[in-house]
Amino acid sequence: MSDTTILTIEHLVKHFPTKMGVVRAVDDISFDIAEGDTLGLVGESGSGKTTTAQCVVGIYPPTSGRIVFEGTPIGVAFKRRPKELKRKIRIVFQDPGSSLNPKRTIKQILSVPLRVHGMETDRKRLAMMSQLLETVELPPAEYLYKYPQAIGGGEKQMVAIARALATNPRFVVLDEPTSALDVSVQGKIINLLMRLADELELTYLFITHDLSLMRNVATRVSIMYLGELCEIARTDEFFQSPMHPYTKMLLSSIPVVTEEEESLKPKKIVSQGEIPSPVNVPPGCSFHLRCPERLPICSEVDPEMTALGNGRVVRCHLFPGG
Amino acid sequence: MERLLDIKNLHVGFRVFEGHLRVLNGVCLDVKEGERVGLVGETGCGKTTTVKSILRVLPMPPARIGGGEIDYNGRDILKMSRREMTALRRHELTAIFQDPLQSLNPVFTIGTQLRDIVKDSAIGRGRRLSRREVESRCLGALRETGMPDPERIMTNYPVQLSGGMRQRVCIAEALSTNANLMLADEPTTNLDVTIQDQILRKLDELVEEKGVSVVMITHSMGVVRDLTERVNIMYAGSILETGATRSLLESPKHPYTRGLMASVPKLTGEGVSEGIPGRIPSYLDPPSGCRFHPRCEHRMDVCETESPPFFDITDVHRAACYLYRGET
Repeated sequence: MSDTTILTIEHLVKHFPTKMGVVRAVDDISFDIAEGDTLGLVGESGSGKTTTAQCVVGIYPPTSGRIVFEGTPIGVAFKRRPKELKRKIRIVFQDPGSSLNPKRTIKQILSVPLRVHGMETDRKRLAMMSQLLETVELPPAEYLYKYPQAIGGGEKQMVAIARALATNPRFVVLDEPTSALDVSVQGKIINLLMRLADELELTYLFITHDLSLMRNVATRVSIMYLGELCEIARTDEFFQSPMHPYTKMLLSSIPVVTEEEESLKPKKIVSQGEIPSPVNVPPGCSFHLRCPERLPICSEVDPEMTALGNGRVVRCHLFPGG
Repeated sequence: MERLLDIKNLHVGFRVFEGHLRVLNGVCLDVKEGERVGLVGETGCGKTTTVKSILRVLPMPPARIGGGEIDYNGRDILKMSRREMTALRRHELTAIFQDPLQSLNPVFTIGTQLRDIVKDSAIGRGRRLSRREVESRCLGALRETGMPDPERIMTNYPVQLSGGMRQRVCIAEALSTNANLMLADEPTTNLDVTIQDQILRKLDELVEEKGVSVVMITHSMGVVRDLTERVNIMYAGSILETGATRSLLESPKHPYTRGLMASVPKLTGEGVSEGIPGRIPSYLDPPSGCRFHPRCEHRMDVCETESPPFFDITDVHRAACYLYRGET
């Protein structure tokens, strides 16, 4: 792992104006990812994880803020992004059933990124595609001419990964790549992704709602709540000593399967309330309505992101800047 | 304790264009009074088919009961008349499903739907409730599930509520009939982990308080561990292993259960196993003998020809696998 930062996000904001009011999907978040790292982005549904990812990939232009990739700011509309950038940043979506075109064979699906990014001859492309399928452990002769509906969910996700890798990317956004799959299939995909990260020197932004999974794949974990970040820390520290009350609530809510794991969970915090609508964000700290440790100040002043050393950042009044 | 529900060797198939899907292959499951039993398995293993057979809501055709018994309190559900079955559904059985938006009617308010259930179940018991009584029971049922402001919820339509709230409404409806047996089919799969935690704790509390027996169907080992006393592991239409939940999860015996447990990501962070090679077999032409044998790393010759019976590992823990043949 090197210390070079590959992606920096500074004060990223993405608002969606609607008839009901402005949806504050992502509201001023900042983080960076070092080359070769896997940053886990965890949060409940509606917390803005996917919007963040989509801003990075360029599906949405940010409302304000900067996204810097390898030193160049990339926060512009997708159309105006240079092709080279689209080659370097790729995404794998959650549900391979809907991200693969059912009317195209796997060969046709895989050939699109190769054509767009300039692999001219058919023969060269075919060799590339076979190699890609081999990388994701699918025998090419068997799979090239199949349609997505003819293969299982796990295999479809493998094809989606192969498609993301087709352009030889540097950075891959994984948007809940295994949450539509069974656990026995998930293991295989996760191990494949981790092996590819080593071999191809990829950097991942791994989005999920499964904290137990994060413990096993991420180098750093960040928690999002209602469009804002609560805490970022190195994985081992994050799980050893969670600091933000929301992190503790999340960790204590995980259903675990062994006694050993039970002992690793923080003391039971009774989870209460639900995530509010991003149209009506509560004043002050957005979490204060559900927070078991709230202070009087929490309902008035939104806390700042405070760095506590060793790459750990917490946004909570309990940990004022020091 | 008395056995409330006792499924013996249940076979259910579906006649479809492609042929005969042999889905349930001799399912045996029992629930004692006041007990909470888990049924765990992956997508397509027949969990929901089992629940639907108990409730007798499988569309027939294409479904066909190939044999077996579902004894409820000594009476075979499969042999009941339609009227007996309606009565059973009215006061004895109740169910919560995965997607509350599908089990709630979108064009009626929560109040209308809840009142109907409360009235109907009282009529079934030979009582006609006054309007005030109905109202107070409905509000009580909603309040029990920890809903803030039940009066307002009664006037809301399902779409106006969040996923967690809708599931609470379903729980309120399910428990307002004073049923004896609740079938919970993945009640928290669609919910976030903090909401899941709230709902499960509430459900646990209410079930305890009312002494309802529960069959909890889920694919999450963690949920089963938190909520049930006994667990059944299901694969490709049969139960492979059964035992006391905590001890079974601590030391799983069947190769399938072991593979499944190893692939669950854990907080200890020792990495995730490769999972189980292969995938669930086609029900059109299921493997002979033990249905797990094509994916099993311990398979023996006998597995390919004979379907394994249950072998006792301890007096409460049994596995349907020839590896444990010697231990009985």
